Amino acid sequence: MAALLKVPPQSSGGTNGSCKADVVVSDQFPAGLRVLVVDDDVTCLKILEQMLRRCLYHVTTCSQATIALNILREKKGCFDIVLSDVHMPDMDGYKLLEHVGLEMDLPVIMMSADGRTSAVMRGIRHGACDYLIKPIREEELKNIWQHVVRKKWNENKEHEHSGSLEDNDRHKRGGEDAEYASSVNEGAEGILKGQKKRRDSKDEDDGELENEDPSTSKKPRVVWSVELHQQFVSAVNQLGIDKAVPKRILELMNVPGLTRENVASHLQKFRLYLKRLSGVAQQQGGIPNSFCGPVEPNVKLGSLGRFDIQALAASGQIPPQTLAALQAELLGRPTSNLVLPAMDQPALLQASLQGPKCIPVEHGVAFGQPLVKCQTNISKHFPPTVVSTEDVPSGFGAWPSNSLGTVGTSGSLGGLSAQNNNILMDMLHQQQQHQQQQQQQAVIPEPSRSINVQPSCLVVPSRTSASFQAGNSPASVNQNCSFNRNAVIDYSLLTPQSNNSSLSVGQISDGDLKNTTVLGGFSAPGSISPSVSSCSVNAGNSTTRPVQNSTVTFGAPRQLPGVVSNICDIQGSYGARSGEVLDQGLLRNLGFVGKGTSIPSRFAVDEPESPISNLNNGKVYGENEGNRVKQEPNLDYMENARVGVPMLPHFTPNDLMSVFSD
Amino acid sequence: MLGLGADRLRADMNRLLALLFHQGVLDEQFLQLQQLQDETSPNFVSEVVNIYFHESEKLLRNLRGLLMDREFSDYKKMGIHLNQFMGSSSSIGAKRVRNVCVAFRAASEQNNRAGCLRALELVEHEYCYLKNKLHELFQLEQQRVLAAGVRYPIQN
Repeated sequence: MAALLKVPPQSSGGTNGSCKADVVVSDQFPAGLRVLVVDDDVTCLKILEQMLRRCLYHVTTCSQATIALNILREKKGCFDIVLSDVHMPDMDGYKLLEHVGLEMDLPVIMMSADGRTSAVMRGIRHGACDYLIKPIREEELKNIWQHVVRKKWNENKEHEHSGSLEDNDRHKRGGEDAEYASSVNEGAEGILKGQKKRRDSKDEDDGELENEDPSTSKKPRVVWSVELHQQFVSAVNQLGIDKAVPKRILELMNVPGLTRENVASHLQKFRLYLKRLSGVAQQQGGIPNSFCGPVEPNVKLGSLGRFDIQALAASGQIPPQTLAALQAELLGRPTSNLVLPAMDQPALLQASLQGPKCIPVEHGVAFGQPLVKCQTNISKHFPPTVVSTEDVPSGFGAWPSNSLGTVGTSGSLGGLSAQNNNILMDMLHQQQQHQQQQQQQAVIPEPSRSINVQPSCLVVPSRTSASFQAGNSPASVNQNCSFNRNAVIDYSLLTPQSNNSSLSVGQISDGDLKNTTVLGGFSAPGSISPSVSSCSVNAGNSTTRPVQNSTVTFGAPRQLPGVVSNICDIQGSYGARSGEVLDQGLLRNLGFVGKGTSIPSRFAVDEPESPISNLNNGKVYGENEGNRVKQEPNLDYMENARVGVPMLPHFTPNDLMSVFSD
Repeated sequence: MLGLGADRLRADMNRLLALLFHQGVLDEQFLQLQQLQDETSPNFVSEVVNIYFHESEKLLRNLRGLLMDREFSDYKKMGIHLNQFMGSSSSIGAKRVRNVCVAFRAASEQNNRAGCLRALELVEHEYCYLKNKLHELFQLEQQRVLAAGVRYPIQN
């Protein structure tokens, strides 16, 4: 019950985004829903405005579609839902709908006096979440908030498919370890199975818990598996991207059960993905700064992250690994500013997503209330980190955020195994991979990381594949998660320990949240995750963070006990240390995710410790392992981090990393 | 005495409304409109209806212009206008106008020029009737408010 009640407020809070945070809505949810109404018919506009006011919604009206689109672009995250007329002189309502769906990913309700089936069908095909026939009655408008919630739930679900949040939930609920273990060492097929298993178990869980609503309400949807997506891509290639129309693609794919609508929506996202991809490549140089800004970074990051996510979703467990690999790459190359941007992106994505987008809800699901707060914390940290980091360290700042976002992913990573990574790599090979690789390379210039990079490169393809699928799971958050996972994965490939670490990572995320709460004093901590809570020590950790970073590697992390509890659950063997590490990781994450990334390397070096580091890194720390493997690179990072002394508090993770590397 | 006048005017309004409902000129959507009128927007109904009249006259002019072009009538554009006209008419509860619009649109979709012209005449007629009746209604309303206002300045 509590969860159900929570969701709407959180979602609204999330949508508020950077501007308002989660202040307003919590009590009476639908009230305050921010609605944009677009209709060239002034009469209807006026009536609708009044009706929506009566519903206590916050109404913005606009009589021109082009202006509405500009408003939406300028005020991203300031609207929860769009009501649009179908026939408008300056821009077709369907066109607006497409733009909104692709750029803002907001629920759009179409309205028209034309209630003929063909018109309604067209609206649905273009992605309208509802189609209201004029005259519109107040009762219909009272209910539109459901689309906002439903959309968030669905996104949540997609995130879960990517593995991140779901993992968190499971960890919290306990008893899922077995699943992970089984899935970890399985090949690609095994992974897929594992995913199914997860889903099943998830559904069971849902029956008992708050997730019930989303899962049950969600309609069956096409899962764009790697194979399916490849079929899709090859069909598109055959037709040519410009000439590819859903109908032809569908014919070429010849997959029973697949509908034109499925293909159309996938194609839309695929195109968007390509667009973003090119955008990312262009913007990589300047990325770091942009990351600071929520919107653009999100977009860029989103593309990468989404890809990863998609891949994950498609393969099931795979995505996390690939993500981890990606993250590892990024983390491994922290020294280079370019890399940092990538990291930042995830963080930004998370931050931004949490704010404006629905993300908060998801967090709420996985983490509970604390999530929201964490987000806020993150956002706060970021700006400073970014500023300081700009030279080298900036990247680190971004990392922490990643770690937060990744938490869920880290869990998924845990389940994944080196084998999986390899498998994924193979599966992932796609045309897009090349693109992504290029991008990644651009992002990660540092040579020292090169070793890690290669794995990551392999991983990259997976990303691409993932990204294609991602269309379904666009949430940027997933991306972040994926990054972390990627890092973990790579490491795991390098060393057996990495697997352990990966598990810890999953837990870590929880830990991070908790940590953040403790350290930051954020409200989130207590509620965030049971596993973390067991580690209660965190408060001390928070204070200690900086010190620990500077001084010893492991010891400090261990002190951060909050994480440990998570670790214990997951990795049993790793025990307390890992948990401690996790705590630090959390702290680091809060302060600066980037540091966390370095942690993974540590794991590689000291197996026993590694679990801890994993936990800490959870999100961020996957990198540490990488560092160890590539000790030199890590050292560089560490040094960099240290250089930016003022930054240190944020960078604590880095410090830790450096220590370890030393 | 003035109070009695206000009551009588209210009764007149109700009678007129009942007549319009009975004739099918208005439907329950008009009542929705009335319910939307509150302290924050005391003249909501008349404001909306005036906007509607203003927009409708533009639409009717455009429709007539499109149909008067003997060489080439843009039926697609006509359909878009009619859609808007239908949307706004139904939104204020102008049932008969809307119904004629539906017939008009059907004719335009068949590129039936004669049918369109007939429908246009009908729409114009219905529109004028509605406009006259609603003006009547608003005048009664205005008088009623004045009458009530003199006697009971505090009450509405």
